[in-house]
Amino acid sequence: MAVRNARIVTVSGPVIDQGTVVLRHGLIEAVGANVPVPPDAMVVDGEGLTVYPGLIDGLSTWGLPGAAPAAPTATAGRGGRGQTTVTTTAPATPAATSTRARGPEDRPATTSWLKAADEISPTDRRIETARSAGFTTAVTFPTSGIFAGQGAVIDLLSAQKPGEMVVASPAGQYISLTRGGGFGGGVGGSFPGSLMGVIAYVRQIYLDAEHYKLVKEAYARDPRGMTRPEYDRALEGVLESKQILLPANRLVEIDRMLRFAAELKQRAILYGAREGYRPEAADLLKKAGAPVLVSLHWPEAPRDANPEDVDSLRTLETRDKAPSAPALLQKAGVQFAFYSDGLDQPRDLQRAVKKAIDAGLSRADAVRALTLSPAEIYGVADRLGSIETGKIANLVVTKGELFDDQPRVQFIFVDGRKYTPAAETPAAGGRGPVAEGPGVDQ
Amino acid sequence: MKSLAILIGCAMAAWAASNDTFVIRNADVYPVTGAAMKGVSVLVQDGKIADIGAKIVAPKGMRVVDAKGLRVYPGMIDSGTELGLAEIESVRESVDTGELGEFMPQLRALVAVNPGSEHFGVVRVNGITSVMTFPSSGGRGGGGGGGRFGGGEQQLIAGQAALIHTDGWTWEDMAIERTAAMHLIFPSIAGRGGRGGGPIPDSVLELISGTAGASYTQARHTYEQQIAKLNDFFDQARQYQKERAAHAPGFKTDLKMEAMIPVLEGKVPMAVSASRASAIHDAIAFADKQNIKIVLLQPRELGQAAAELKAKNIPVILGRVLALPEAEDDPYDQAFTLPAEAYKAGVKFAFGTFDNEFVRNLPFQAATAVAFGLPYDEALKAVTINPAEIWGVANELGSVEKGKWADLVITTGDLLEIQTGIKHLYIKGKEVELTNKQTRLYEKYIAR
Amino acid sequence: MTKIKILLAASIALAPLGAETTVIRNATIMTVTKGTLKGSIVVRDGKIAEVGEKVMEPADAKIIDAGGQYVIPGIIDCHSHIAVDGSVNEGSVSVSSMVDIKDVINPEDIAIYRALAGGVTTANILHGSANAIGGQTLVLKMRWGKDAQGMIFEGALPGIKFALGENPKRAGNPQGGRGATTVEARYPATRMGIEDTIREAFNEAKAYKAEWDAYNAKVAGGEHLIPPRKDLKLEPLKEVLEGKRYIHAHCYRADEILMLMRVADDFGFKIRTFQHVLEGYKVAKEIAAHGAGASTFSDWWAFKVEALDAIPYNAAIMQKYGVVVSMNSDDAELMRHLNTEAAKAMRYGGVSETEALAMVTLNPAKQLGIDNRVGSIETGKDADLVIYDKYPLSDFAKVEKVLIDGNLYFDRDQDVTGRAARQAEKQKLLDKEKQNQPRQQPQRRPGA
Repeated sequence: MAVRNARIVTVSGPVIDQGTVVLRHGLIEAVGANVPVPPDAMVVDGEGLTVYPGLIDGLSTWGLPGAAPAAPTATAGRGGRGQTTVTTTAPATPAATSTRARGPEDRPATTSWLKAADEISPTDRRIETARSAGFTTAVTFPTSGIFAGQGAVIDLLSAQKPGEMVVASPAGQYISLTRGGGFGGGVGGSFPGSLMGVIAYVRQIYLDAEHYKLVKEAYARDPRGMTRPEYDRALEGVLESKQILLPANRLVEIDRMLRFAAELKQRAILYGAREGYRPEAADLLKKAGAPVLVSLHWPEAPRDANPEDVDSLRTLETRDKAPSAPALLQKAGVQFAFYSDGLDQPRDLQRAVKKAIDAGLSRADAVRALTLSPAEIYGVADRLGSIETGKIANLVVTKGELFDDQPRVQFIFVDGRKYTPAAETPAAGGRGPVAEGPGVDQ
Repeated sequence: MKSLAILIGCAMAAWAASNDTFVIRNADVYPVTGAAMKGVSVLVQDGKIADIGAKIVAPKGMRVVDAKGLRVYPGMIDSGTELGLAEIESVRESVDTGELGEFMPQLRALVAVNPGSEHFGVVRVNGITSVMTFPSSGGRGGGGGGGRFGGGEQQLIAGQAALIHTDGWTWEDMAIERTAAMHLIFPSIAGRGGRGGGPIPDSVLELISGTAGASYTQARHTYEQQIAKLNDFFDQARQYQKERAAHAPGFKTDLKMEAMIPVLEGKVPMAVSASRASAIHDAIAFADKQNIKIVLLQPRELGQAAAELKAKNIPVILGRVLALPEAEDDPYDQAFTLPAEAYKAGVKFAFGTFDNEFVRNLPFQAATAVAFGLPYDEALKAVTINPAEIWGVANELGSVEKGKWADLVITTGDLLEIQTGIKHLYIKGKEVELTNKQTRLYEKYIAR
Repeated sequence: MTKIKILLAASIALAPLGAETTVIRNATIMTVTKGTLKGSIVVRDGKIAEVGEKVMEPADAKIIDAGGQYVIPGIIDCHSHIAVDGSVNEGSVSVSSMVDIKDVINPEDIAIYRALAGGVTTANILHGSANAIGGQTLVLKMRWGKDAQGMIFEGALPGIKFALGENPKRAGNPQGGRGATTVEARYPATRMGIEDTIREAFNEAKAYKAEWDAYNAKVAGGEHLIPPRKDLKLEPLKEVLEGKRYIHAHCYRADEILMLMRVADDFGFKIRTFQHVLEGYKVAKEIAAHGAGASTFSDWWAFKVEALDAIPYNAAIMQKYGVVVSMNSDDAELMRHLNTEAAKAMRYGGVSETEALAMVTLNPAKQLGIDNRVGSIETGKDADLVIYDKYPLSDFAKVEKVLIDGNLYFDRDQDVTGRAARQAEKQKLLDKEKQNQPRQQPQRRPGA
């Protein structure tokens, strides 16, 4: 196939004002201003259209329909003292924690061995809607529990076999620090019941993993006379993971998680970054060399609030400045990418990215944050993220600029297969009908 | 003649034996309603203040209390407690505030007061001679509306609060005003945080999907419904009042309605617990509409409401001065400066501690208000004459004046100062021993 | 953020980190260890360089005119739960020594600033009391504006929280409570079980320590071995056995206080401080003999059954028997006026002025092992100083300025004058939001 005479934003190089991309066998065979169209190619006229690399969702649950939206960053907010971090897991906790855990040895809320690649469901409806928004790829993770499991980079195909969709696996271990606040701390409940409990648990797991490794290696060298070590699938899953994802929205959390990752001696990717706009945050991230996934779900004012309750200055400021985080991180030289964080309607995703652009992020950088940057973060930049010869043929073709007020995705190529966007569906749940015009009441 | 002599003889003997007749000699008297008088004496006769002056000479045989270098103040009045009604906050069996039921005007706090409560002895030692005790003051004890053990529906009218002395053989003995006020817990729309343990700081993460729990629209609707119910209840009471006066045939006595009549007649004020400015405003509007007298309890803010309160002469009972600000951005001294704010706005107020444990710290609460802008004299008034006036007993209590009851304390110094010691305490002229369970434990263990 | 910046700017603008010399001039200085004098203090490089009636004032020194004011050492709160993210309790298990408060410090908790405004410069941040053996604790300086690491009191020995009495056994007796489904009971349910839980844990810890000691010995002898599994629950207990970690034990009743000391004796460790220890006066002799400190409330009581015999003379009695006594708050509000809590020791029990002040300065410093650095105004110690406008052991006083390590972290004047600016900043953002999202105003339903 070939897309001819289009404007091509390669991301890896300068924009080609008018050129052609040739796809064959699911890969990009050629791209350039003067690329000849092979005689056997099906030609798509790209006049007046723009070609981008297919968008990559840096932290997703697309493809895992049972999972909760990736790290919903809303909290019940009833922290008694101080602020609680990321909370709320999937409604159904996995079988591993049906009885009350009495300590770290019970491995509560841990399914570290779970691999997204093994659980992909091509029939997840969100795959189609995501494509309509221009996404060709998602880095999908199980998200339920403390050690939720290992993610996979998947292409958003409507495939027969889930295995076809997997580009790279595993993609890292998803960790969440989900516990409540107040003085309760899980009294009468399962361990851990507090944030510090979760942290202590994670720490213990890594100590155990280190020890487990030593013992296993010693046993492998010479089992004679040694008691054989017990197989611990939780630790196996942890050892398998080359990097971990840690939640961090507030500056305090970013500081805390970077320190924690250093203590655990793990390569960490932070996700959330709500307070990424604060200069100290950018400094810390830069110094640690840690990449960060910025949530596109910008904070909003609560809908039905008591007019007598005025939000704090801190809250107001965050709402005001959050969308400027990407621009500031970019300027500071911090490696970052966007992720959908529960948004899956094209309009919502578009609007969210536009907000970051309005707040100072250049359009080119916005595109990069959804293409080459996530590819780099997950080590698949040799295959994805830009329009270059030899890479996977994941493209999105639009009329007008991506992230404009009225862009229109014309078609999407995933692994070289052409898809046309579905008609926009009314958003299911959450926001209510996405209406235009003023004065629409909720 | 003989009978007269016998009478006089008896009277003299009575003086000598009488425990509510004596002279306090050579003290610095702080009447509160007038300038301090140094080096004067106070004659207490039959439990009342008979005379104050430099030239009082005690008749022969009359007991004299030498108060050289000491001060005499009126005993303090705490306008917001649950004393006698709640012993141990965490033990339900010992707590008698917070009854069930939405409209319970017929409940009388007075009859549930336990004169044997240890709390009385503890607060007396710090100079508190009388308190208002409320059915569900909203303190940490009971609370039908929002205390620890509130059950069932939201309570609106909690019952009759009583003004009592902090000493007496029975509650009858202790009663000063059996029905000093009717407690109305005005409907409220829950805010973000509460008092006491501190506000719940805004979580950045609350921003996304709104706060958990009832939405504002829902809460507002419920709020308005409750105010409507309240008005309906009052209408019912007025109807009852009419029927009663007209001796309508088939008229049946209804205890709840009976209890409302003194309120409707303006004889008993409604003590209204309302904390936020909008609720205060609505409460004032309600009082206007129903043409009743109200006293505002524990506002957490005054703001715009202050002008309204002043215009309508609505007195206020200020709650814990030593409390945290409500919201993260509020000035750290928000609660400390509220009394000064009330004073500057011309609002009449008294202090209430609203927590049995802290009643003994009443004077220190007042002192903190002084540190943050309240004139000293106003602070003193707010624990003596102001509450007496607010609760309608200014003829009997609240200052060291002739004709009033001898509810007095003799101190080593400033009544509001922490390091001052209380030497003597009198309730209606009878001296009450300044001992309690705690002083007894002290005596026992210091000697181990 | 801006608010923090304003505050941070205030502290930096006035006294950059240790670079300048500051002179607090002409105040009444209550040193705690060397009496009270009228004079000045020279602060250099974060330390107290000179104290005296007349001092050498360097030409470039920043002057704080404290004429007519009082200076005391920074207040140290030995029991606090502020600045913690998430729950202060890991209540799911009875022994939660694996958790560490250090992991969840929140340096942006407004409670830190409010504590500063009350004169607190150092606080012992503790795990809650839901467990017989709770989590690890640490000491922080209230360096508002610094990050979590920057708040840690360098060199202060870490601690661990124990809890005895009603709180840690509550989960063993789950009540129906508010809409709770059947909650599994967590051992222990009685005070007997609490002792057992602690003994079991130390029994385990002893074995764990033996394992590691054996391993370390072998490694020292040149052997290559796989180390034993590191158990985060037992590590801190091992440290207790090795004297490297302080135990702070929440307790109320005399029987449990004694119990813990006997357990400690059996296992060969010491309790560093008893916290709350409201019946400490009954076993003051034994506490003194053990060498534990006692950190108590001034006058809380009756909120729980185990607080029934609490007396405000507790501090005075224990002190008489030779126990090092401090007053703590365990509450974000109370910690704002520990100066007056200390003053109460003078009222109840006749403690001297210096002894009372020591209860919130030098004594908690001794208890936390940081008295070489803080707790009194002496040359060489950290310049953690609080300036009051009036005599500090009184409710009439308020904090004017607070220095930590010689830097000004709180200035009341700046706070008050800065309020308008902060409010304006807030209003700007509110207006901006209203402009951008007019659709999101909630509709008010007309009437009910």
